[in-house]
Amino acid sequence: MINIRPITSRKVIALLMTLALCWMTYACGGPTTEQSQQPTPQDQQSPSASTQTQLADGQYPVQQATYDDANGEYSLFLLNTPAGTPPQFRTTDLQMAALTEAEVSSSQKAYLKTEGGKASLHIPQDFRIEYVHNVTETQTDPQSGQPQTVVVGQQSSFWTPFAGALAGQAIGSLLFRPQYYVPPVYQPGGGPLTGFGGYGQSYNQAVQRYQTRYQAQPLAVRNRQVGLRTTGGIRSPAASTVRRSPTSSGSRSTGSGYGSSNLRQPQRSPSSQYRRSPSSFGSGRSTGFGSRSSSGSRRR
Amino acid sequence: MNSWRDRFNRMSGKTRFVVCRLFIHLAGQEVAPLLGVLNRAAREAIAKDGDLAVLGQGLVEICQSLVQYDTYWQSAANEGDVFWNEGDAGGYVTELFTDSAQRYLSEPAFEPAPEAELSLPVTQNLIVMITVACEGEVPELETDLSHISALKAALQALINLHYQEKLQAIQVHFSPAQLGDCLTSDQLLLNFPELIPL
Repeated sequence: MINIRPITSRKVIALLMTLALCWMTYACGGPTTEQSQQPTPQDQQSPSASTQTQLADGQYPVQQATYDDANGEYSLFLLNTPAGTPPQFRTTDLQMAALTEAEVSSSQKAYLKTEGGKASLHIPQDFRIEYVHNVTETQTDPQSGQPQTVVVGQQSSFWTPFAGALAGQAIGSLLFRPQYYVPPVYQPGGGPLTGFGGYGQSYNQAVQRYQTRYQAQPLAVRNRQVGLRTTGGIRSPAASTVRRSPTSSGSRSTGSGYGSSNLRQPQRSPSSQYRRSPSSFGSGRSTGFGSRSSSGSRRR
Repeated sequence: MNSWRDRFNRMSGKTRFVVCRLFIHLAGQEVAPLLGVLNRAAREAIAKDGDLAVLGQGLVEICQSLVQYDTYWQSAANEGDVFWNEGDAGGYVTELFTDSAQRYLSEPAFEPAPEAELSLPVTQNLIVMITVACEGEVPELETDLSHISALKAALQALINLHYQEKLQAIQVHFSPAQLGDCLTSDQLLLNFPELIPL
C-alpha cells in the first residue's frame, strides 16, 4: 500500500498533465481552424480557393483592393509577387487590420500578409477599397419558372473601413488586430462608405453584429443564401383552379412543400453517412436510423 | 459516449446544429381547414421570396393550428441529427427536402375534372412534415416524439425557436395539397411507413 501510493500518484499526475496538454492543444486549435474554413466560398469552383493557396507566405505590398458585394469577394493587386504567381489575389476569406502607429510612422504602405493559408490585409486608416455594388433584380427564369436573382447593373464606390474609426468606434486597439469586417449598408447614389457594418473574430460573428445593427443581412450573405425551394402546385396559380379527380390518384396524393435555408451547402457531395451517425435521434430509433432508407427501397 | 463528444466539441467552441424533421398525421374530416393555414403560409413564403423571418412566422401559425387540432392527431414520427459542421447540416436539410418531396405528387398533373362537381370530396387524412435546422441545443426536439405530450412540447419548442431567432432553415411539406384532394390511408401506409400511432 505505502509503496504503491507515490508511484500511482506520480503516474496519475503525469497522465493528467498529458490529458490537459492534449485538451489545450485541441481547444486552441479548434476555433482557429474553424475560422479559416468558415468564410471560404461554398462553390469550390470559384477562383478564390485555388488562387489563395498558390500564394506563398509572406508580405506583399497592395496596390489596389476591390470588394465585390455580390459574393463578398476581395480582389487585390499585389506587388512583388513571386515569379509565376499572378499579381491578382482573390479571396472571400480576408481579415483586415489598420496599420499601427509604428508602421505609419515608418511610412509603411498597405500590405497583405499571408500566413498558413490565412490572409490579412493591413491598410492605413485612409485606405480606400474600391467597392463594387451589384444591383440585383429577381426575375422569373423563363425555362423553369423559378425566380432567380440576376445582376442587372454595377455601381462603383469607395469603402474606407477604418476612416474615423478611432473616434467613432469604441474598439480602439482591436483595430490593429486582424479581424473580419463587413462593409456598412450601401446607399444608392450616396457617397463613399466609411466605417464598417460588423466586425468579429470569425466571419459569422461579423455578420451577426451587422444583423443586430441593421436588422438585415449583409448583401454578400443574402446573395449567397440558398433561395426558396418549393414543390407542388403552390407556385403556379393555375393549380388552384384545376382539380384532379380524386379517383385517378395513384400511389401518391397531391402535396406541396416549401422551404428556405441559411445554411451553407457541403463542399463534398452529400452521402448517406448522415443516417448512420451515432448522434441521430428520432422515433424510428429502435429500427435504427435506416428506417427511411429501407422504406425508400420498398417503394421502388 | 456521444455526450462526451458533444461536451468536447462545445469546449472547443464549435457551433452545434440540430436538424430535425417531424411528421404529424391528422385524421378526420374536420382537419381540412388546416389546409387553408398551410397554403396561406406557403403563399406568404413565396411572396416574400423565402425570407426566413416570414417562413418562421408561418411556421408559428402552423404549429399553433396543429396544437389546436391535437384531438385529431393520429400518428407521428420524427428523425434528426446533430452536426458540428454547417455544411453537413445544410446538406442534410437539402436531403430531407428531397425526401419529403418525393412522398407526394410534387408535379401537379393538370387534368380537367371529369365533370363539374358541386361538392368536393373531403380528405380523411392530412400529413404535415416540418423540417427545421437551428443552432444550439433543443432537448424537446432531440427525442422520440411518438407521444402526444412530447409532440406538443416539440411544437411549442418550434414556436419558441422562431422568436429566439435560432432557426437557420425551415421547410414545410403537406399532403394533400388543397381542399378537394384526398390522401387515402393506403397512400399513407405506402409513403409514410415510419409513422407510429400516438
